Amino acid sequence: MTTQDRMSRRMPTSEHTIGPFFPRSLFGAGDSDLTIVAPDASPTRRGEPILLRGRVTREGGVPCLNMILEAWQADADGRFDHPLDPARHMADPDFLGWGRAWTDEEGEFAFRTVMPGGYDDPVGRRAPHVNIAAMGAGLMRRVLTTVYFPDHAADHAADPVLALVPAARRARLVARPEGMADGLRVFRFDIRLRGTAEEETPFFDA
Amino acid sequence: MSAEDVPDRFDPWPPGVPPQVPVPGYPNTWTYTPSQPLIRRVPTRTEATGPIRLDRKLLCGEANLAERTPGRFAIGQLIHLSGRILDEDGRPVGGAVVELWQANAAGRYANPIDQRAAPLDPDFLGHGRVRTDEDGRYAFLTIKPGAYPVPVQDTWWRPPHLHFSVLGPSSLSRLVTQMYFRGDPLNALDRILNSIPDEAARERLIARDLPPAEVGDRWLGFTHDIVLRGRRATPHTP
Ligand SMILES: [Fe+3]
Repeated sequence: MTTQDRMSRRMPTSEHTIGPFFPRSLFGAGDSDLTIVAPDASPTRRGEPILLRGRVTREGGVPCLNMILEAWQADADGRFDHPLDPARHMADPDFLGWGRAWTDEEGEFAFRTVMPGGYDDPVGRRAPHVNIAAMGAGLMRRVLTTVYFPDHAADHAADPVLALVPAARRARLVARPEGMADGLRVFRFDIRLRGTAEEETPFFDA
Repeated sequence: MSAEDVPDRFDPWPPGVPPQVPVPGYPNTWTYTPSQPLIRRVPTRTEATGPIRLDRKLLCGEANLAERTPGRFAIGQLIHLSGRILDEDGRPVGGAVVELWQANAAGRYANPIDQRAAPLDPDFLGHGRVRTDEDGRYAFLTIKPGAYPVPVQDTWWRPPHLHFSVLGPSSLSRLVTQMYFRGDPLNALDRILNSIPDEAARERLIARDLPPAEVGDRWLGFTHDIVLRGRRATPHTP
């Protein structure tokens, strides 16, 4: 690295739409499973495995086909295997916390993960949550939202990010229980990209 | 490095750099783009972190799109493209996953969603994925893609472009973008490129031609650096 590199402030490269043609060949088996760090790895044994499902729709409730969704979350104890986590040394080494899925003709997607843990952040205690980014044709920029779970209703009042969401729209960010599948609890989180203030999913600034 | 470093690491997008949405003349964007104001938040640990060693999950090493079978090249102008993934301080982002996909020389994607009547090329692999080295460097051998029309009522042609998806060390630095070629008359008409208000920001999406004499006689050479958001990007940790 030269001195020039170190000194010069660079402008970030602009975002562009992912478009309709993100190749299926870039998806591998297990990409939508956050509990494995590699395609041939064993799933983590910490925490409660769950399924997170949802449907992406646009204006008028029309399903969005071929939307790309990426999920990122803390492990079952609220830790990240990342240098910015002071408790990284205690993070679950068998949990990736990242996954990618796409939507079918009905706009449906599914992730397999574990119920995340909450953690103390300098700005307040974050309730257990999963961050979701959605990308697709028609979306020039990715949209960012956050999934909370009904199990932790008591923690939601203190969450510093949920507190920024207008009170009337907060319930849109809490997933709904949807029975069991393969012995796991299923949670549903539907994403409405565009609609009225009541319909539309709250999205965060990138 | 501590969690207290998190908020000041990520400045808001500079004005004029993100696309302005929805895009006039691109009808889809009017039914997909959220209508409510985006909610501003201070990045906490969960937004500032991201998966490290993602190359374990997303297998990397596919850098040659133009020669699937040794000695059999894809149809089109062969190009060698290399560049660096940097952060806003100009530091290299090592260990980033770089995904590339593009149309073939006829402007057709090898994707079942692309049903346009243009030929497919069995010798062209329309996608690749590599991991950047310690200097943040990536490289691909591919072909220059053809233009293709966007099937909207008031149609326009997309100029030749490459799609990039870059997964760096943070959710906030995640970037999906496109790269263009200098001097193409379709650039000025492209509603996607021109959704970026700032002229200098659009200019940064255009690859730099390398002097042919430096590159040799097998392909044309281009370089293209991509800058991810975030100052003092997390150093590569294996
Ligand atoms: Fe394209």
